[in-house]
Amino acid sequence: MARPIRARHLIVAVLAFGLLGAACSDDDDDPAASDEGTDQTDQAAGDDGGDEPSGDGLLAEVRDRGTLQCGVNDAVPGFGVVDDNGDFTGFDIDFCKVIAAAVLGDAEAVEYVPLVAEQRFTSLAAGEIDVLVRNTTRTASRDGTEGAAFAATTFYDGQGMMVTAESGITGLDDMDGATVCVLSGTTTEQNLATVFNARSLSFEPLSFDEVDQIREAILQGQCDGWTSDRSQLAGLRSAWPDSEGGPDGLVIFDDIISKEPLGPAVRDGDDEWFDAVNWAVMSTIIAEELGITSENVTEQLESEDPAVSGFLGQPTGEDEAVIDPGLGLEPDFAVTVITEVGNYAEIFDRNVGPDTPLGLERGLNALWNADPPGLLYAPPYR
Amino acid sequence: MTATTLPVTPARRPPPWRDARVLRVAAQVAVVAVIVGVLGYLYDNLITNLRIRGISTDFDFLDRPATIEIAYSDFRASQPVREAIRVGIKNTLLVAAVGIPLTTVLGTVVGLARLSTNLLVRSAAGLYVETLRNLPPLLVIVFVNSAVFLELPRIGDPIDVGGFLVLSNRELAAASPVAGDQLAAYALVVAVALVVSIVVWRRRTRASEVTGAPHHRVIWAGLPLLLGVVGGYLLLDAPVTLSHPAAVGRGISGGVAMSIGYGAVVTGLVLYTSSHVAEIVRGSVQAIDRGQTEAAEAIGLSSAQRLRFVVLPQAFRIAVPPMINQFLNLTKNSSLAIAVGYAELAAITLVLISQANPAPQMVLLLMTIYLVISIVISIVANVVNRHLQLVER
Amino acid sequence: MTATLQPPVAVVSRTRWARENLARTPMDAALTIVFGLFLAWAAYRGLRFVLVTADWEIVRRNLRLFMVGRFPPDQLWRPWAAAYVMAATLGFCTGVIAAVAATDPRRAATSAASTRPAASVRSGLRRFWPLVVFIAAVLVLIRTPLPGVLLIGLVAVVIACRAVGRRLPGLARWIGVIVAAAVLLALQIVVAAGGVGWDDWGGLQLTLFVTVAGIVLAFPMGVLAALGRRSSLPVIRVVSVGYIELFRAVPLVAFLFIGQYLMLYAVPTSVDPPSFLIRALVVIALFESAYIAEIVRGGLQSIPVGQLEAAQALGLGPVQTTRRVVLPQALRNVIPAIVGQFISLFKDTSLLAIVGFFEVLDVARSVPSQPDFVGQGLSSITLAFAGFVYWVGSYTMSRESRRLETRMGVGTR
Repeated sequence: MARPIRARHLIVAVLAFGLLGAACSDDDDDPAASDEGTDQTDQAAGDDGGDEPSGDGLLAEVRDRGTLQCGVNDAVPGFGVVDDNGDFTGFDIDFCKVIAAAVLGDAEAVEYVPLVAEQRFTSLAAGEIDVLVRNTTRTASRDGTEGAAFAATTFYDGQGMMVTAESGITGLDDMDGATVCVLSGTTTEQNLATVFNARSLSFEPLSFDEVDQIREAILQGQCDGWTSDRSQLAGLRSAWPDSEGGPDGLVIFDDIISKEPLGPAVRDGDDEWFDAVNWAVMSTIIAEELGITSENVTEQLESEDPAVSGFLGQPTGEDEAVIDPGLGLEPDFAVTVITEVGNYAEIFDRNVGPDTPLGLERGLNALWNADPPGLLYAPPYR
Repeated sequence: MTATTLPVTPARRPPPWRDARVLRVAAQVAVVAVIVGVLGYLYDNLITNLRIRGISTDFDFLDRPATIEIAYSDFRASQPVREAIRVGIKNTLLVAAVGIPLTTVLGTVVGLARLSTNLLVRSAAGLYVETLRNLPPLLVIVFVNSAVFLELPRIGDPIDVGGFLVLSNRELAAASPVAGDQLAAYALVVAVALVVSIVVWRRRTRASEVTGAPHHRVIWAGLPLLLGVVGGYLLLDAPVTLSHPAAVGRGISGGVAMSIGYGAVVTGLVLYTSSHVAEIVRGSVQAIDRGQTEAAEAIGLSSAQRLRFVVLPQAFRIAVPPMINQFLNLTKNSSLAIAVGYAELAAITLVLISQANPAPQMVLLLMTIYLVISIVISIVANVVNRHLQLVER
Repeated sequence: MTATLQPPVAVVSRTRWARENLARTPMDAALTIVFGLFLAWAAYRGLRFVLVTADWEIVRRNLRLFMVGRFPPDQLWRPWAAAYVMAATLGFCTGVIAAVAATDPRRAATSAASTRPAASVRSGLRRFWPLVVFIAAVLVLIRTPLPGVLLIGLVAVVIACRAVGRRLPGLARWIGVIVAAAVLLALQIVVAAGGVGWDDWGGLQLTLFVTVAGIVLAFPMGVLAALGRRSSLPVIRVVSVGYIELFRAVPLVAFLFIGQYLMLYAVPTSVDPPSFLIRALVVIALFESAYIAEIVRGGLQSIPVGQLEAAQALGLGPVQTTRRVVLPQALRNVIPAIVGQFISLFKDTSLLAIVGFFEVLDVARSVPSQPDFVGQGLSSITLAFAGFVYWVGSYTMSRESRRLETRMGVGTR
C-alpha cells in the first residue's frame, strides 16, 4: 500500500542533508584561530620561477590549503602563549610565522594548534599538524621510533631545576627525597630519573600534563622543585606573581642536567617539505650573519654584495641571474621572511632577549662568529 | 462411502528471495561481510600508516625499559614497560578495593537517612544526594584535590593528630600495625579464642531457642574473644606494634601513607558514587510492599527490628544489581585520576604513549585490561545475584 | 447523584507536626538538635562563602571564557543570535506541547488552574528556581549593561514564544521540522560566512553542543544495537552484544584516547584528517549508543508479547511491527531513562577537559593562572562556579524528567 509522503518528512530529510553538508563544508573553510585577513596569499604558490613542487608532497598540500598548521605551546611565556582573544605570541610562534612566510608568502597564514607534550608526536605523525614548533628537543629516538625529522636547531638549551627561594635548597645534591614536578611526555621526565639515579638520590616525580597544574603545585608547596628546559623555566619565572616574590622568588640552579637542542620537527618521509622548513628557519640565521634586518631589508635589496643579493633572490653577478636552489620556495622568500618577521636576532630579542621579562642572554644561541661565540652556524646559501 | 483422499500438493519451497531460511542466512553473511570489510579496511590503513611513520606494529616494546619513574611506588626507570603497566593495574585496583566498601557503607547510611521520619535528617541527606548526584565526578575529584587537599599545610609543618594521623599537602598517613616476632603465636591464640567464642555463641543461641530465656550471647561469646586478644597481647611480647607516621624531611616515614592524588580520587569517587547508591537503596526500600511494614508493625517489631529483619533483607535483593553497576562505574571512573596526577592505569598508559611507545598497541592493552576487570566484576555480581534470588516454586 | 465523599483530611496542629517529624523518640530529638546545628552551620558557612568571602572578580572577568571559550570578542554577536534562535524555538515548542497536553482529556482536571498569568509565573519560578538563581547570579556578575539586557531579553523571548506556541497547537506535527531548522540556522549563524568553526568553540557552548550532538548521533545507533541484540539471527545478536558490552566495559577516557591517538591512523593518508572535535564526537556517539541500547532494550522487553501477536494477526511484517507497534511504545516507556542518559552525557562532557578541549572545567582550572590572579588560591572559586553551572543544568533536567515521568504515568498502565 502506498503511503503518502508527508511534507514534513521531506523537509526534515532535506534539512538533515543540509546539516550534513554544512558540517562537511565547515571542516574545509575552517578559519585560523587568530587570523586577521588571511584570505589572499598574494605570492601564489610556486607559479613563477623556481622549481615546481612535486604534486603530492606536503609542500604542495600546504600551498593548496593556504594555511600552515603549526603545533605550538600555549602556556609558556616567551615561547608560546595565548591570550584571551586567541592571539598567540612567542619565540616558537614567530618561527611558525617564518615558515608560513617562506612557504605561503604570508606570515599570518598560520593555524596554531596548541598541544600538550604528550600529543606532540602522535599529532605530527598522524598529519594533524604540518610542523611542530614547540620547545621540542631533538633526540635519537624521536628521529627514529617517533618518526620525526628535526630541522635546524633554533634554540640550544639545557635542562635545569628550579626551586623556590624560600625553600633554601642549594643544589641538586640537596634534593634527596624531594618531590619534583615535571611535564609528562617530555625528555625532562626521562632525564630526571637518569640524573637522580646517577647521583643516588631518591625522589618522587609528580608528572602533570599542563604547566598551570605545576605552577599550582609549586605555589602550594606540593613539589619541591620543577624541572624543565632552562628556557621554559626562565619564561615561567618571569611571570611569577609578585605576591610570591616575583621572579626573585624562584631560583634556577646552574646545574645543567642534559643538553636540550630545541627545533622545529616535521614528519619523516617528506624530504621536500623538510628542506623547505629547514631553509626557512636557517634563512633567519643567514640574515643575521649578513646583517640584514627588517629595518634595512629594502635597502639591502639594492646591495652590491653578491652574497646578500643572492640570498635575497635578487639578480646578481654579471649575468643578472637569480639564485634558485630548488627548494620549492620562491627565490625571494627570504625577503618576505625578514620583512614580516625579522632575522634571528630580532626574533630572539623580541621574545626572550635581555629586554624582555625572560631576560635571557644569547649565550649558546649567538652566531659562531659573535663575541663570545655561540653555536649558530648556517650552511651557505648557494 | 468411498475414502476420498485430498489432493496433496507437494511442499514447494518459495523462491530464494522470499524464502525465510535463505534470507536469514544471507542477512547474516551480509552483516559479517560488511563488518569484516569495514574493520579490515581500517586495520589495513592503520598498519600502512604505522609502517610509513616507522612505528612498530608488534608488542616488543613491552620489554623495553620504561625510562620514567612512577611516584610513590618502587618502580625504577630501568624496569620494563610491562612492569609499569602492572603498577598501573595495581593502583586502579587499590582505588576500587578501598572505594567500593566505603561507597556501600556511606551510600546505605545516606539512603536510609533519606527515609527517616526526622525532617532534618531527611533534608540533610536529600541535600547531600541532590548536590553530588548532579555534579560530574571529575569535577568532584578536582575540587577535593584543589580546594581541600592542596590547602593542607606543607610537608614541613603538617597536621599531626596525636601521632596517629599526619596530614600534609603531599601525603596523608595513618598509623598502621607492624608485625613483631611473635606474630604467628599470637595469631594462633586469637584463632583459638575465635573458635571458642563461636562455639559459645551457637550453644547459647540454641539454648535460648529451646528454653526461651535470653541468651546474652554477645557477652558470653565476647568474653573468650576478649581474653584471647588482650591476654595474648599482654603475655606475648608485643606481637603487633603500631608504626607511627612522622614527617621526616620532605616525606613521611612510618605508618601507611598515600599520596593526596590517591586520597582525592578515592574521596571524590566515594562521595559521588555514594549519592547514586543512596538513591538505589532508597528506591529499593520504597519498592518493598507496604504490607510488609504493616505486618511487621502488627507483630510488634520495633522500627529498628523491622528494618533489620524485614525491610533490609528484601531491599538488598532488589538493590544488588544496580549497586554492582555503580561499583563498575566507580572502577571505570578511577581513570579520571589523570587529572590529579595519580598514576593509575589510564594515566600510566598516557605517559608511556608519550614516551615513544606505540599508541595503538598501548590503547588496545588498556581496553583489554578494562574489559577483563569489568567482566570479572560482572561475573562476581551475577554469582552474588543468583545466590540472593528467591528460590521460587 | 451526589458527589463522592473524600476521606476526611487529618488536621495536624503545628506541635503535633513538630513532634512527628522532629522528636518522635528521645534519640530522634537528639538527632534533630545535632543535625539542626550542623545544617545551620553549613548554611551559614555556605552563604558566607558565596556572598562575603569569595572574590568573584575572577569569574566576572572571565565570564566570556566560561560561556563561549576563546571565541573572538568581535564575533560574539553570533552566539547571542544563535541563542536567541534556540530560545525562541524552545519556548515555541514547549508552548505547543503544553497546548496539546491541555486539550488531553486525561489531564484536564489538573492543568485547569495553570492558565492564570500570576499563578503560572509563580509556578514557573517554583519549577525552575535553579535556572532563575543561575540567571540572577550571572546578571549580578555582569558589569556592563548590554549582556545583562541581552540575557533578560533571552528569557523574555522564551516566555513570549511559549505564549505564541500555546495558541498554535495545530503545529504539533511540525515540531521535528521546526527544531531541525532552528538547529541548522543556529549552527550556520555561528559558523558560516567568516564565523568560527566548532573546533574553536569552548566553554558552556561547547558543552551544550557536544551533549546535543552526541545524543542525536547516538540515538539511531543505540536503537539499532538494541534491536540487534534481540534478534533471532545469531550473528547479529553476537555482534550487537559484543559491541554493547565492549563500549560499556571501558571508561570514556580510554575511548577519548583512541579518538586522540589512534583514529587518525585509521584514516588513509590521502584524506584530510578529521579535526579533533569530530573524532571526539564520533567516539562519544559510539560510547553513548551502547548505553542507549541497554535502555532501549529494557523498553523493548517491557512490551507484552500480546502486542507482537496482535500485530502478526493483523498481517504486519517484522519491520512494520517494529516500526509501528513496538518501537513507539518502547521508546515512550524509556523516555525518562533516556533523559537520564542525556544528563549523564552532559556531565561527561567535563572529560573533554582531560584531552585538551577548553570546556567549562578546563576554563575553571586554567583561569586562576592568569597573570592577574595567579597565586591567590582562587581555583576553589572557579571550580565552585563551574560546579554550579553543571549542577544547575543537571538538576533542572532531572527535575523536568521526573515531572515528565509523573505526567506520562510511566509504570502505570
